[in-house]
Amino acid sequence: MLQGLDCNYPRTWMNCSGERVHKMAVFSIVIQQIVNGLILGSFYSLIALGYSMVYGIIKLLNFAHGDIYMVGAFVGYGALGILGSKLGVGWLGIAVALLISMFLVGLLGMLIHRVAYQPLINKRAPRMSLLITAVGVSFTLFNGVMVLTNGEYKTFNTSLGYEGISIGLINITYTQIIMVVATAILMLALYWFINRTLYGKAMRAIALDQDACRLMGINVTKTIGLTFFVGSALAAAAGVMAGVYYGSIQFYMGFVIGLKAFTAAVIGGIGSIPGAMLGGLVLGLLETAGTQLPFIGSAWKDVFSFGILILLLVFKPTGILGKSEIERM
Amino acid sequence: MSKKFLSTVAVTLLTLGLVVTGCGTQPSAPTAPSTTPSASGGAIKIGLPLPMTGSEATYGKDMENSIKMAVDEINAKGGVNGKNIVTVTGDDACDPQQATAAANKLVSEGVVAIVGGYCSGATIPTLTIYNEKNLPFVITAANSSKIAAQNPGNTFEINGTAVHQTQKAIELFKKLGAKNVAIVEQGDAYSADLAKQTEDSWKAAGNTVVSHDVTNKGEQDFSSLVTSLKSKNADLVFWTAYYADGALLIKQLRQGGYKGAIVVGDGSSDLKLIEMAGAAGEGTYVLSPPVAEYLPTAKQFADAYKVKYNQSPGAYAPLAYDGMKLMADALQRAGSTDGKTIIKALSDTKDFIGLAGKVNFAADKTLKESNFIVLQIKDGKFVLLP
Repeated sequence: MLQGLDCNYPRTWMNCSGERVHKMAVFSIVIQQIVNGLILGSFYSLIALGYSMVYGIIKLLNFAHGDIYMVGAFVGYGALGILGSKLGVGWLGIAVALLISMFLVGLLGMLIHRVAYQPLINKRAPRMSLLITAVGVSFTLFNGVMVLTNGEYKTFNTSLGYEGISIGLINITYTQIIMVVATAILMLALYWFINRTLYGKAMRAIALDQDACRLMGINVTKTIGLTFFVGSALAAAAGVMAGVYYGSIQFYMGFVIGLKAFTAAVIGGIGSIPGAMLGGLVLGLLETAGTQLPFIGSAWKDVFSFGILILLLVFKPTGILGKSEIERM
Repeated sequence: MSKKFLSTVAVTLLTLGLVVTGCGTQPSAPTAPSTTPSASGGAIKIGLPLPMTGSEATYGKDMENSIKMAVDEINAKGGVNGKNIVTVTGDDACDPQQATAAANKLVSEGVVAIVGGYCSGATIPTLTIYNEKNLPFVITAANSSKIAAQNPGNTFEINGTAVHQTQKAIELFKKLGAKNVAIVEQGDAYSADLAKQTEDSWKAAGNTVVSHDVTNKGEQDFSSLVTSLKSKNADLVFWTAYYADGALLIKQLRQGGYKGAIVVGDGSSDLKLIEMAGAAGEGTYVLSPPVAEYLPTAKQFADAYKVKYNQSPGAYAPLAYDGMKLMADALQRAGSTDGKTIIKALSDTKDFIGLAGKVNFAADKTLKESNFIVLQIKDGKFVLLP
């Protein structure tokens, strides 16, 4: 029943057979942890993008963004539940559920912008009021889903297995590979959208100077709405992928990850799209490294990763890719 | 659903009854006695402090049902020392203030012994009230470690505490032949306490704890932890926190290729664990308090309960039943209704056999032997590990 290794080397990274295995094992562990960090980081990146885009265009820290991720997971869960009988609960069903969730939650993002943020922007409300409104939206979504789901956990029923590639001690499942590839595709698509389309150009222009854009005939309100759509859709994609990958979702799943993604956006340089992508990966890798640190327990992993982040911001206050005279987005 | 509704109605009616009698001129009999005593002067009155209203009312009602079943059985066999037992329920509403009022009321009713106690917070302030009158108290559910610490001498606990769970965990680790145990907790008082006690006892027995990790509540990714545990050659992982995050950990351990044993504490003893962990959950060991459903000794009790109350006995039903039977046994042995004599008889309890196993008391008047049980997930169900 037990695969107990018959050795008495409780120290980290030591194996029963001695030094040679020891080096091999360390190598495998490092690779495995890097893979773990990249996967975790790609979730952070996807959510950080939404933070960064919204901040870039209207200087709003949209604290409801973590909850939008959570709503995305629930919409995906619902969609998969309805579609599952027709399309199956394999990759096809998941992909369709993902797209549906992205679309609906994107619309939700636009609705939130219209109802909660735009009226304040129109009245040129102080930025602090917008921030508080964002906190209000966050609570509304959080408690709304809590009531609708009775606070229960929902289990994603998918047919994904644990098959994958294993080399030595390294295990990478196909699910993990597909998650990372999907994240990469979404990010490339976003990059293309921002830099190569007219809408993207409008967003970048608004980030620079809203009034000038109005004079040039750009519909500022609509473009801001579009930014919310794109950011929320990315968060929804992350939510569905997290649900599929981890297997269960609950109403408070957006809180911790929302804070961490916000952090990722800041380290990357808030307002910068490549910065958000990079920031997410850096945070993911740091956290993973914190778990495996010798001599200190994993209870310290957040202290470790956030300690490094403080240092980083002390030396580079605008974040890794942020510029002091920012050309946002 | 409808059962829940029915029981809510029942509880509401009961409460109404309470209020009505409470407002009347007779301060006696908050609830009707469960059986009519053969001779009203010759009955033995036993007080049941339980939450009959409020958020915990379902548990209180469930425990009252079980206790009344025990009383009916005792009386059917001629009662105790020729006298019938009658019960008086005091509603503590799981609230310290209401509990104190209910305790004073029970005392003024002239009860000779107390059986019950569900919420630790509501039970602790009543201990001294009963002790002043030398009333013996058998606690059947509340199990905070503060109870034993503040026990004025009249109180006996028949529900296992963290100490007993640790005891059972160590026993299981040994049985599984574990060498490198890894403990994972969540930093909250409950899971940290169980983790620490288990680590200390396991080390004290001369064994190895390869790691003691703390995860954040609500964090979904355990992959780096899994890699770290594998790199430390852990062959048994003990999760001391709750089922939701526990299920995620179990899944990711198996996904990451971990092949050793997984043990989870009673916070994870929930059917939802099986649902959420899915196929990865198979083989997981679960520590659990003695629940009637999984106890072969409690089958007859569970069946009778279902017939009588039209619902399954709840989590604390077997212990409530045991508590009343134990009290009756002590009364019989004491041969009188004098408080001090009954307390002495309870202390002298030797190998009393209840539904949940043997009862002997340690020096601090908690259970001498752990009554925790070990379940294992097999084919999507919990099965009792012999």
